Amino acid sequence: MTENRSIQISNDNKRSPKKFPTVERFLEGWSVYKENLIGKIGLTLLVIFALMALCSFFPPLIDPMYHPMTGVDPDISHSTSPSWRHWLGTDFIGRDIFCQLLAGARIAFMVGISAAFMSIFLGTIIGMIAGYTGKVVDTLLMRLADMIMVMPTLLVVLILSSLFGQLNIWTIVLLIALFRWPGVSRVIRAQTLSLKERPFIEAAKVTGASHFRIIFRHIMPNVLPLSLLYMTFRVTSAIIIEAALAFLGFGDPSTVSWGMMLQWVWKTGHMFQAPYWLLPPGICISLLTLSFYMLGRAMEEVLDPRLRKEIAQE
Amino acid sequence: MALLTVKNLSVGYHTRKGFLKSVQGVSFALDQGKSLGLVGESGCGKTTIGMALMGLLPDNASVTDGMILFEDQDLLKMSKKEIRQVRWKKVAMIFQAAMNALNPVHRVSEQISEAILAHDADISEKAAMKQVESLFDLVGIPLDRMRDYPHHYSGGMKQRAIIAMALACHPSLIIADEPTTALDVIVQDQILSAIKDFQNRLKISVIFISHDIAVVADICDNIGIMFAGQLVEYGRIEEVFDAPMHPYTKSLLASYLTLDKDVIQLNSYLGETPDLINPAKGCRFCERCSVAETTCSLMAPEWVEISPTHKALCYQCK
Amino acid sequence: MEIRKFVFKRLIEIIVIFFVILTVLFLLFRLAPGDPVTRMVDPTMTPEDAAHLIAQLGLDQPIWLQYIYYLKNFFTGNFGISFHYGVTVFSIILNRLPNTILLFSTSILLSAFVGIFLGKIASWHKGEKTDTWMTLGALFCHTLFLPWLALIMIWIFGFNIGWFPLNGMISPEIWLDSSSGFWLKFLDVAHHMVLPLATLFLIHFGSYLLLMRSSMLDTLKEDYILTARAKGLEEKVIRNQHAAPNAALPVVTSVGISLAFSLSGGALTETVFSWPGIGRELVFAVSNSDYPLAQASFLLIATVVLISNLAVDVLYAYLDPRIKY
Repeated sequence: MTENRSIQISNDNKRSPKKFPTVERFLEGWSVYKENLIGKIGLTLLVIFALMALCSFFPPLIDPMYHPMTGVDPDISHSTSPSWRHWLGTDFIGRDIFCQLLAGARIAFMVGISAAFMSIFLGTIIGMIAGYTGKVVDTLLMRLADMIMVMPTLLVVLILSSLFGQLNIWTIVLLIALFRWPGVSRVIRAQTLSLKERPFIEAAKVTGASHFRIIFRHIMPNVLPLSLLYMTFRVTSAIIIEAALAFLGFGDPSTVSWGMMLQWVWKTGHMFQAPYWLLPPGICISLLTLSFYMLGRAMEEVLDPRLRKEIAQE
Repeated sequence: MALLTVKNLSVGYHTRKGFLKSVQGVSFALDQGKSLGLVGESGCGKTTIGMALMGLLPDNASVTDGMILFEDQDLLKMSKKEIRQVRWKKVAMIFQAAMNALNPVHRVSEQISEAILAHDADISEKAAMKQVESLFDLVGIPLDRMRDYPHHYSGGMKQRAIIAMALACHPSLIIADEPTTALDVIVQDQILSAIKDFQNRLKISVIFISHDIAVVADICDNIGIMFAGQLVEYGRIEEVFDAPMHPYTKSLLASYLTLDKDVIQLNSYLGETPDLINPAKGCRFCERCSVAETTCSLMAPEWVEISPTHKALCYQCK
Repeated sequence: MEIRKFVFKRLIEIIVIFFVILTVLFLLFRLAPGDPVTRMVDPTMTPEDAAHLIAQLGLDQPIWLQYIYYLKNFFTGNFGISFHYGVTVFSIILNRLPNTILLFSTSILLSAFVGIFLGKIASWHKGEKTDTWMTLGALFCHTLFLPWLALIMIWIFGFNIGWFPLNGMISPEIWLDSSSGFWLKFLDVAHHMVLPLATLFLIHFGSYLLLMRSSMLDTLKEDYILTARAKGLEEKVIRNQHAAPNAALPVVTSVGISLAFSLSGGALTETVFSWPGIGRELVFAVSNSDYPLAQASFLLIATVVLISNLAVDVLYAYLDPRIKY
């Protein structure tokens, strides 16, 4: 039955069992990634946004009125439609919307990547420890993960902000990370469990490697690709949570994020009259989320050979 | 007149690395009530033939040549609708028990009665269920297990259920694809007896696909040995076992431990699986053959008739 | 594992989780910076009322005793008095809860059913235009930012075209008029529910569609599908009766996993549409520093999540015979 369900040509007996041939795998991965249309679109979009983020530093240098937070056009004090001076118009106190958009890109990347990185870091370590140690520690950690996963992150951060007052952007990032690690840890734990039984781990134990060494030198490199993959999905959820918080008015008032921009449009009653203000931030959030998602899906194909189109299946 | 005649069948798969010629130029005939064993190692194409007979080849497969005449109709030229009617009613299949051949969310009895109802427009559900009961009796599954789900069955029971399902529409031909693989020897024996039993009683033809030549010897009238997509030897069971002609057949038989002889040396054969994308011009078994000569690698061998019912594809068999 | 044992086990787990959340919340409110008393007792109350409330909530007792009071109050439904509304928190949440449940459950059911149905069709037409459009559409909707989508919906359908009300759940005129019958009121609520429901639906159906699609594609590779084909069954039958029931199971699981996310979305939707539900109440309470209401709303939402999780688990156990018996 296995003969024709999925015929694959493999060089199994010619491949040597290297444990982490990083560069070789990266290059191989890149060649697969390149062929994936979704991945290419995602990457292109991301590059565009990254450029936006980088460019956000320039406008205030050109003219202080372009500062997203404090820059007000001396001649304008209300919301205006797009013009040559203000490519996307101005907000309700005369600040340039386009510059706010650029600054928002910067914040989005910052928040997304830091929160994702922190939650991956936590999730990977906890997942590895849980999978490797097993029994009581594993059960405790996974129960903790369950409990955290059950909670709606946004609402938890809301409650916390009610107790601790206005939150700083980095506090928000930390909180997001604290509540998003469980998802990663489950996957990493599963991977660790299967890796634990592999012969090379046995070999390491026999040669007297300490548990610590086994985890970090042998298990982690094999688990990292998975972590990185999940990082892309975490970035999207971090960006969305921060945007939602800002939208509701609980963001960091000194940062201009896309969510904050939407809050201003909404709260100042301009949502019906100012499409040039209402549309761009939302479109950006969606596109950035989409591009990270596409990146993640393409990476999935790289990491999971079964998804690749090389192998002829139905 | 033969029930089934396969003439020069060639099937291949489109893969990224090229067109894989899985079956090439295979011909054989099967009379009603007789059984044929198709034996070969993994990748030799025997399952592909089984799939081609059922019309179940995957989308990336193509039949490049040949015809399959079943009751004088070419199955390869039939429309999808016609094939659906032939399936199960005329030609049924027994899959490996190890496979997930039964749908986990439906009761076993329902899956069998479904087959009956699909091919008989007039029968009522109750009558169909009665037939399922008699099928269960036939294969030896207790009736109180009828309404169970597949995951409640042991490997052997699942296999019996699969056999019962195959018999449901009284087909003339059953293709059994490795039905005893992954079962322990005792259960294996039971299943083989069951197959022999319905073969004799119901006069059903069986094509028994296996990698295990010993199993085939027990059940089949004729045997076809396959290697690298080609039929390399074909004949009546007694003929091929008593006087194997093709070197591959000889090595297959020699790899077996028998109880009545002392084992002097375990035979295993050398070599990798042959390349099916660019097959060798000459004899495909050449690399692994112990009696190969230069002609063998240069020219494709032709059939040598050892007797009217026994032939082998080899220059070296005389 | 028997279905009853399974449900019982899950119930215990959920109760434990609930208690942990309850306790954590308790500790947070007591230990956060600031005076816990002013957090639970409205500073504008009269001293006698304040003293009474303090005694009732046990705020002048040692912390472990406070915890006992806390639990007792919770189970007797005494959540304190809302600073903002001036009535018992219990009466407020009692009023709001049905509204949230109405919107939330309708949106989940609708998204799940439509998502599963369309995902099944998309997988069947894999590679063709139908599939491409459906997948792209699902992906596009899935990545939309919910509050933004909500604003757009209101702008286009409420403001510009004027088909639907801009916010709220009911039209006061209809409900205040004593001659309005049940059906009129029902339709009124339904009319108000269209936009929030559409928003939630658009955001959520995409993930169910994509999941069902990939689940179907995986299921179609299974051996029992080959068996079904070999039996000579029609493709339609194979798709709907053999593949789809199996493929839908992981999607049901994912409904459970994404419940927390759905509730956050629900809270956002309620806020933008001014739908009088628990989610909106929580947001308001936090903005107004109405601690008793905030705490109770959060607890209630947690309860809704936990119970929904249990409901999904039970449903799954019911659908998958491997667990049932």
